[in-house]
Amino acid sequence: MSRRVRIRGFLVSALVLAALLGWGFAGLPDFGHFAGEYAQLLNRVATGERHATNVVTSIVFDYRGVDTMGEEFILFAAVITVGMLLRETRDEGRRAPRDEVRSDAIRLFGVSMVGATVLLGLSIVAHGTITPGGGFQGGVVCASGLALVYAAGSYRAYRAAGPYEFLELGESTGAGGYVAIGLAGLAAGSALLANVLPLGTAGELNSAGTITMLNAGVGLEVSAALVLLFHEFLEEVEHR
Amino acid sequence: MSYLPYALAGWLFMIGLYGIVTSRHLVHLVVCLSVMQSSTYVFFLAVGYREGASAPIFKDYPLGKPAVDRRQRDRDGAAPRARDRDLEARRHRRSRRAEAEAAMTALVPLLVAIPLIVAALLVAAAQRIHPLVANVTAAAVAATVTVLAVLLIFRTSHAPIDYWFGGWHPRHGIAIGIAFHVEPLGAGVAAATGALATAALLFSLEYFAEHVQPYFHALMLIFLAAMIGFSLSGDLFNMFVFFELMSIIGFGLTGYRIERRSVLQGALNFGVTNTIAAFLIMFGIGLLYGRTGALNLQQIGETLRHRQPDGLVVVAFTVLAVGFLVKAGAFPFHFWLSDAYAVAPIPVCVLFSGVMSDLGLHGLARVYWDAFSGTLGGHDEAVKGVLLVVGCLSALVGAGMAFLQASLKRMMAFVTIAHIGAGLIGIALLSARGLAGATVYMVADGLVRGALFLAVGVIMYGLGNPNELRVFGRGRGMPVAAIVLLVGAVTTAAVPPFGPFVGRTLISQSAPGIVTAVLVVSGALGAAALLRASARIFLGLGDRRDPLLVAPPTGEDEDEGEERPIGLGLLLRLPAILLLAAGLGLAFATGLADRAALHTLRGAKPPPLPSLSQHVTTASVAYGVLSGVLALGLAAFGLYPRRLRLPGGRFAAPLLAGAKAVHDGVPGEYVAWLTFGAAAIGAALALLIR
Repeated sequence: MSRRVRIRGFLVSALVLAALLGWGFAGLPDFGHFAGEYAQLLNRVATGERHATNVVTSIVFDYRGVDTMGEEFILFAAVITVGMLLRETRDEGRRAPRDEVRSDAIRLFGVSMVGATVLLGLSIVAHGTITPGGGFQGGVVCASGLALVYAAGSYRAYRAAGPYEFLELGESTGAGGYVAIGLAGLAAGSALLANVLPLGTAGELNSAGTITMLNAGVGLEVSAALVLLFHEFLEEVEHR
Repeated sequence: MSYLPYALAGWLFMIGLYGIVTSRHLVHLVVCLSVMQSSTYVFFLAVGYREGASAPIFKDYPLGKPAVDRRQRDRDGAAPRARDRDLEARRHRRSRRAEAEAAMTALVPLLVAIPLIVAALLVAAAQRIHPLVANVTAAAVAATVTVLAVLLIFRTSHAPIDYWFGGWHPRHGIAIGIAFHVEPLGAGVAAATGALATAALLFSLEYFAEHVQPYFHALMLIFLAAMIGFSLSGDLFNMFVFFELMSIIGFGLTGYRIERRSVLQGALNFGVTNTIAAFLIMFGIGLLYGRTGALNLQQIGETLRHRQPDGLVVVAFTVLAVGFLVKAGAFPFHFWLSDAYAVAPIPVCVLFSGVMSDLGLHGLARVYWDAFSGTLGGHDEAVKGVLLVVGCLSALVGAGMAFLQASLKRMMAFVTIAHIGAGLIGIALLSARGLAGATVYMVADGLVRGALFLAVGVIMYGLGNPNELRVFGRGRGMPVAAIVLLVGAVTTAAVPPFGPFVGRTLISQSAPGIVTAVLVVSGALGAAALLRASARIFLGLGDRRDPLLVAPPTGEDEDEGEERPIGLGLLLRLPAILLLAAGLGLAFATGLADRAALHTLRGAKPPPLPSLSQHVTTASVAYGVLSGVLALGLAAFGLYPRRLRLPGGRFAAPLLAGAKAVHDGVPGEYVAWLTFGAAAIGAALALLIR
C-alpha cells in the first residue's frame, strides 16, 4: 500500500472514529458532575473499615487488590522480559565506559542527595496508608536514588554501590510476597487477599493490617524492578 | 464548555493515532504511543472529577476513633454483615455438602495465585536451579491448574460461583470489590488453557532442553495465570488488567529471538496494535464508568438495561468489541497476528493460537451478554449483522491467505484467523445455541490447533525449517508428526464426528444459509492448505516449485537450529497426540456446553435445548463431509497448480498479489487498517441502531 493511499484512507476513517467518540462523550455526565455510587460508597466506608486514612491506598490494596496483583505482575513480567532479551543478545568482554561528569560540585551535590532521595522514597512507601503516596510512588523514588549515583557520580561508583545480583531476588520477593499475603487470607478461612492482621488505629504508621504489608511488598518490587531495568539498559548502552 | 476535557482526551488520542500511522521512526512511534496513553489518563481523570470535592485522604481524622460513626456504618451494612456471615457460617457447618462446596469455591483464586507465586519463586531461584528443574516445576503447576479448572466445570454446572476477592461482597446491589464470575464456559476455557500450557511445557522439555533460562518458564506461568484470570473475571477493569498482562508477556515471548530482524518486526507489530487495542478498551471502560459508576459487568448491565441505547452505549460497545477483536485477530485487525505467530517459539505459539486468540472472542461474548445484552437486546439484529460480516470476512480471508503460505507456521497463523472467524460467527448469532457452539468449537479446535503447532514444532526440530517447499519429501521418517498433521487438518475441516464438527454443527444450525456456505468453504480451504503441505513434506507428492505461494520474509524460517536427529523424542510427540485426542474427544461435551450457555445468557431466558442427538442431522453430516471432500480437492489443486489450471486464473493473479502485499506491512499500515475497522464497525452500528 502506498504511503499516500494509507494516509488518506486513515484520515477518512479517523474522521469517522473521532465523530463516533464525540457522540459517545455526549452521553457522559457534565464535566465535574460525576455521580458514581461505587466511588462515593467507598469514600464513606473505607476509612472506618480498613483504618487507612488514605482511601486510595485501601482501594488499591484491598477492595481492588486483585487488580494491583495483576499490575504488579505486569511490571514484574515486563522487567524480567527486558532483562532476558537484553542479556540474550549481549556479548561479554566489554570495557568500562568513560565517565561524563567532570565537575566536582555536581559530584558532591549529586552524591549527597542519594541518601536523602532513598530516605524520601522509603518514607513515601511507609506512609502510604496515611498520606498520599504508597509502594508504587515510593518505589520509583527509591530507585532513582541509585540512578543518581551513576548520573552525578561515576559508573565505577554505581557498580560499587549495589549487589546487583540480588535485584531479581528482591523483585520476586516483592511480587511473590503479595500473592503469599493474599494466600494467608485464604488460609485463614476467608477469601484471597482478605485482611488477616489487626487493623490498629487509623492514622498511625502501623495501621490498616495487611494493606501495610502489601504496600511494602509493592515498594520492594517496584524499586528492585526499576533499578534492574536501569541496570540492564545501562549495561546495554555502555556496551555499544 | 463542560465537555471540553473529554474532547481534549479524544483529540490527544487522534493525534497519537495519526502519528503512529505516519511514523517512519521507532522512537517517534513509541512517543506517539505514549501520547495515546496519556489521552486515556486525561479521559479517566475527566470522567471521575467532581466539582468541589476533595481528595479522599482524611488527614484531619482524629486518631483512635472510627472514621465513620456507628449509625453510618450500620446503614452501609458493615456490622450486620459480619453477624450475617457468622450465622451463615454456622449454618454451613451443619451440612457436609455445603462444606465441600465451600472448599471448591476456595479453588477459584488458586487458579491464578498458584502459577503467579511459583513464577516468582522460579525467578528468585533462576540463577541457582537447572532449567530442566524449572521446566518440570512449571509443567506440574500447569497440570495442577488444569485439574482444578476441570473440577470447577463440574462444580458450576448447576449454579455459577461468584468469588469475591478479599471477601468484599456487594452492598445494596453495589459491587465494592472484584469478583471472578465462574460459569462452566469460563471454567472450560480455563481448563483448555491449562491443558495447552501443560502440553507446551512438556514439549519444551525436549525442544528447548536447557537452552532457555528459568525466566522463560516463569513467563509461561504468568501468561497462564493471566489467561485464566481473563477468562474468569467478572469485572471490566480487572479483565483489562489481565488483558494487559497477557499482552506484555505476549510481546516478550514473541521477541524471544530478538536478534533476528523478522522477530523484532513481529514483536513490534504485536506490541503496537495490541497496545492501541488496550487504549480502546480503556476508553470503553471510561465511558461505561461515567454512565453507570460501576466496573462490575453485571452491575453495568443492570444499570444500562432500563434505557434505550444512545451514542455512549453504541460507542462503548464498539471500542470494547474492537479491542477484543484485535486480540482475537479478526479481519481487519488480524495483520499483526500472522507476523507474530510466524516468529514466536513453538511452545508459545501453542498458547497463542490455541487459546489467546479465542480469549478475545470469549471477552467479547462475556461483555456483550453481561453488560450490553439488556440495552442492545432490542437491536440485536444490528449487532448480529455487523459481527456476522466481520466473522465471515475473517473466515474467508484467513483461509484464503493460509492457502497461499509456504511456511507451515504462517499457514497455521492464518488458519487461526479463519477459525477465529468461525467462532465469531457462532457468538454473533447472539443465541444460546450459537454461544454453546462457538465455545465447543473454540475449545476443541483450539486444542487441535495446539496439536498442529506441536507437529510443526517436531518438523522444525527434525528438519530445521517449516517451509513445505524447502523440506519437500524429507519428512518420511516422522510418522507421528505426519499423523497428527493429517488427522488435525481433516478435523479442522469439521469432518464428523470430532469435536470441531459438533461445535460447527451447533453454530450452523441457527445461522443463515450463506453463512453456512462460508463456514464450509473456509474450513475446507484452511484444511486443504495443511493437507497440501503434509503431502509435500511427508509424502513427497506434488510440484517442487509453486509460484502461487508466498515466500516468507528472509531469515524467518532459518530456524531454530540445524537438522537434528530425532531420538526417542517421546516428549516431542506425546503432547501433540494428547491435545489432538482431547480436541477430538470433546464431541461428547456438548450437553454440558448447552447448559453452560444458558448460564451465560442468564438475562435472556432462552427455551430449553434439545439433546445432542437432535443436533446432528443429516444435513449437518452432509456439510461436514462436503467440507472434507472440498478440502481434498483443493489440496490436490494446490499440489499441482500448473496441471490443474482453474478458469479465470488470469484475473485472480493481481488480486492474490494484492492480498499478499497488504499482509506484508509496517505497523503504520496495520494501525490504519485498525482505525478503518473500528470506524466501519462503529458507523455500521450507529446507522443500524439509531
